Amino acid sequence: MTIELDAIVERLAAEATGGEGVEAYAELTTETSVSAFQGEVERLTSASSSGVGVRVVADGRLGYAYTADLRDQGLRECLAEARANLEVSGEDPGNVLPEAAAYQALDGLFDVRQADTSPERKVALALDLEARTRAADPKVTQVESARYGDVVGEVAIASSIGVKGSFAVTHAWCLSIAMATEDGQSQVGYGVDAARALDDLDPGPVAREAADRAVRMLGAAKPATRTVPVVLDRMVAPSLLGVLLAGLSAEEVQKRRSLFADRLGEQVGAAGLRLIDDGRLVAGPGAAPFDGEGVPTRRTVLIDDGVLECFLHNTATAARGDASSTGNARRGSFKSSPGVSAHNLFLEPGELDQAGLLARAGEGLLVQDVSGVHSGANPITGDFSVGVSGLWFRNGELAEPVREATVAARLLDILKGIEAVGSDLRFTTGSIGGSSLLIGQMTVAGA
Amino acid sequence: MLEDAVVRKVLGAALATGGEWAEVYAEDRLSHNIRLEDQRVEELVTGRDRGAGVRVVKGTASAYAYTNRLDIDALLEAARVAAAALREPPAAEVHDLRRREPGVRHPVAVDPAGVQRTTLAELVRRADAAARAYDPAVAQVSAGYGDVRQQVLIANSDGFSTLEDRVRTRFVVQVVAARDGVVQTGFDGPGRSMGFELLDEFPPEEVAGRAAERAVAMLASKPAPAGEMPVVIASGNGGVLFHESSGHGMEADLIAKEASVYYGKQGKQIGDERFNGIDDATIEGGWGSFVFDDEGTPAQCTVLFEGGVCTDYLTDLIRARQLGLPASGNGRRQSYADVPIPRMTNTYVLAGTDDPEEIIRQTPRGLYAKSLGGGQVNPVTGEFVFGVVEGYLIEDGQVTTPVRGANLVGDGPSVVAAVDALGDDFTVKEGICGKEGQGVPVGNGAPTMRISRMTVGGTGGPA
Repeated sequence: MTIELDAIVERLAAEATGGEGVEAYAELTTETSVSAFQGEVERLTSASSSGVGVRVVADGRLGYAYTADLRDQGLRECLAEARANLEVSGEDPGNVLPEAAAYQALDGLFDVRQADTSPERKVALALDLEARTRAADPKVTQVESARYGDVVGEVAIASSIGVKGSFAVTHAWCLSIAMATEDGQSQVGYGVDAARALDDLDPGPVAREAADRAVRMLGAAKPATRTVPVVLDRMVAPSLLGVLLAGLSAEEVQKRRSLFADRLGEQVGAAGLRLIDDGRLVAGPGAAPFDGEGVPTRRTVLIDDGVLECFLHNTATAARGDASSTGNARRGSFKSSPGVSAHNLFLEPGELDQAGLLARAGEGLLVQDVSGVHSGANPITGDFSVGVSGLWFRNGELAEPVREATVAARLLDILKGIEAVGSDLRFTTGSIGGSSLLIGQMTVAGA
Repeated sequence: MLEDAVVRKVLGAALATGGEWAEVYAEDRLSHNIRLEDQRVEELVTGRDRGAGVRVVKGTASAYAYTNRLDIDALLEAARVAAAALREPPAAEVHDLRRREPGVRHPVAVDPAGVQRTTLAELVRRADAAARAYDPAVAQVSAGYGDVRQQVLIANSDGFSTLEDRVRTRFVVQVVAARDGVVQTGFDGPGRSMGFELLDEFPPEEVAGRAAERAVAMLASKPAPAGEMPVVIASGNGGVLFHESSGHGMEADLIAKEASVYYGKQGKQIGDERFNGIDDATIEGGWGSFVFDDEGTPAQCTVLFEGGVCTDYLTDLIRARQLGLPASGNGRRQSYADVPIPRMTNTYVLAGTDDPEEIIRQTPRGLYAKSLGGGQVNPVTGEFVFGVVEGYLIEDGQVTTPVRGANLVGDGPSVVAAVDALGDDFTVKEGICGKEGQGVPVGNGAPTMRISRMTVGGTGGPA
C-alpha cells in the first residue's frame, strides 16, 4: 500500500468549516538499524510507520489530536477529537495558523542512493565497524555497541488557509562504542559519523576515534580540585549549547523561564562569539525547506559578537510577542503540536583546531565527556554543574586522564569565558553542531 | 485485538527461514494529556497509537520488524521482513496458543477515558491557583495531567499468549520562584498504575504545594560547597540514586557483554549487611508495575542485594537464555516500535531501623540532599552524576543553609559500600527512565539514607 500523504492532509484541511482553521501534518518514515556484536548481527530492525496530527484553531483557542490510524474512520475521529479538545483550551493570541508563504525546495536533503541501499550493505557496514573497532587497539577488549541506522522520511502539510507543502529526507549514521580494559579498570569511548547516505559514511575513522577515546582514558584518577583553562571536546560542546538553546526559544522567554529574558541587546557572550541557527544548512540533520507548520526556514544569527540579537520564534510566539516567525516551529513527530526549537544550531567556527586550542591554553583540562547535563544544567536559573572526565594537558600536550570530577559555573560566565571556538565544527545526529571550545578558567572539583 | 488464527499464521511466516523462536507484540494505545502554562490551559492532546512488531530470534541474534497497521497483510509483511534476515530451512514450529493467566492485578477504579475534558481543565487550574497562593515569590507554574490506556497482546511460538490492559495516570507540577534576581525551580509528579482515582490520593493542591515549597525554599540558597563529605539523602531520593548507579549495571544485557561494573559480582559482599535492594513489578498500582512484561513473562520481585550481597540480575528472555539465568520479567519496551531489553520496574532500597532525624543529628558536617534531579551513569565504570535540586548544609547535626548547584559524583558499588545508615521511613518517586532511546515508567524508592563519604561538586569552593 502506498500512502499518499499529500492527499490525506489536503482532505483534512478541506474539512474546515466557517470560523475555524484546520491544519494537518503527516509523516511517513521507513527505518533500518543493525547492530553487530562479536562478528555477528546482534539485532536488525526494519520498520515503516506513519501518522497524522491535526491542529484546529478558532476564536483564539487550540485543539490537537493525532492518530496512527490513517483509514478514513481514524482520520475522522482524530479531527473530531481535536475539535472537542479546543473547547477546553484557554484563549491566547498565539493560537493562530501561519499564512501561506512560498518556500524554496532544498537540494540534497534526499539522497536517492540511500533509498536504493540494500539491507546486505547495511549489515556489512555494521559488521565492518565492529571488526575495525575491535582491531583498532590491543587494549580494546569489547565493542559495547557497533550500529548502523538510517531513516527515509516524508513530510506533508496542508492548512485551510492555504499552507501546502511536502518534502523527503534521508539520513544514515553509524556509531561505535569501544571498551578498553587495563589493570582492572574499564573505560569507554565513542565514535560517530552521519551523512545523507550510507555511501558517504566512513567506518574507519569512527572505529579509531572510539578506540582512541577509550584507551587514552585508561588509568584515569580523581583529580585534586583546581581552577584551570578548560577545552571542551567537539563531542561535548553540543551538551552546553543544548542548555542555551532552551533559553533562546521565545516560548521560554515569554513564559519567564529563560536566563536570556530581558537580555536582548546585551553582551551575553565573549566578544567575537557568533551563535547561528540555519534551517537551510544541508550539512546539518535539521535542515528542511519549511518548518513544522509550513513556514519557510532561514538562517538566524542569535548571538552576534557576543550580543544577544534575537530569539527563535514560531507563529504562536511571534503573534504573542509582536515579532515574526523565524521558521523555527518544530515537532518531535506528528504526535505533538509545533513547539520552538533550532534546526541546525552552531557557533561560528574559528581558526584553530583542537590541537591549536590546547597549544594556545598551554595547561588545563580537555573535557572528553560530560554527564548529568539534564539534571545539573538549568536553562532557567543559569546554573551549570556537571560531571566531567577527560585528560590534563601541559604545554599543549595531552597528559594523565581524569575521572569523577565536576565542573560548576554560571552559564553566562561560561559563555563570556569562551576564548576561542575551534575550526572543527561537525554535525552528526542531533540538531546542534559541535566544535572544540576553549574556556578561560573553570573550577574542576575532585577529591 | 488479533485473532489467534492470525497470530499463528504470522508466527509461522516469521519462522519460515530458520528462526528458533518468534514473537508478535501488538498494542493499541489511547492517551490524553492536558497542560497548563502561564495560567492558561495551553493544550489538551488526544492520541491514538497502534501497531505491531514481529521478532525472530536465533541464538542471541534477533531481527525485528514493525508496522502501524494491524491487518493480516501488514503483519505478514512484517513477519517476512523480520524473517528475511535468515536464509535457512525452517527449524522450529509454532505451538498451539495458550493464554497465560495473570498472577497480579493493578485495579482501576475510575476509567480515565470517561473523565470529562472540563474536569481535567479544572485540575490543572486548581494546581496553578494553589502554587501561586503558596508564596508571592511564585512567578510561573506549569501543571500537567496525563493518562494512557495501553492494550497489549503478546504471543510467541512457544505457545504463550498474554493480553493485558495497562492504565497509568500521572499529575505533574513545575514551579518557578523568583526573588531579588534569584530564580529557582521546584517539581512534584506522582504517578501510578491506576485510574483517575490517583487524584484522590494526590490532590492537585498538595502536588502544587510541594513543588512550590521546593522552589521557594531554594531562593535563600547559597552556592554548594565542593569536596568529599557525608551525604544524607532524603527518603525516596536514594531510590533514584540506587536505580542509576547500581540498578543499570545489574541489567543483564550489560552483564552479558561484560560491560558492567557488576559483572562477576554475584554472591559478593558489596555493602553493609543491613543493605537490601529489590526490583519489584508486582507492587499493586506501582508506576513501574505491570501484569506481564513486554515479552509476556509474569511480573515478579527480583532481589538485587540481600544483606549487602549482590544477588540477582535483571533479565529479558534472550539474556536469561544466554547467561543461563531465570527470566526475571524485566523485558520491557517503550512501544511496538521498539525491541524489548532488560529494564528496571519499581526499584527499592528497603527501609532500615534508624530514626531519620537521628541520622542527621549523628552527622556533624555534610550535605542533606532533600531532592535529587535526574542522574546519569556510565554502567561500564559505574560512575554517575546527580544534580541536587534541593539541598542543605548539615552543621553540628542540624539542617541549616539551603545550597544550590550541588551535584553528587561517585560510582555505584562505592555508594552501596558507603551506606552507613538506613532510616525506618520509605518513599517512592516516579519517573521515566531512558535507555537506548526508549523511555519506560519506573518507580524508585528508598528510606532516608546516609552515605559516609561522597564527592560533592558545587560552585561555593572547598568545604
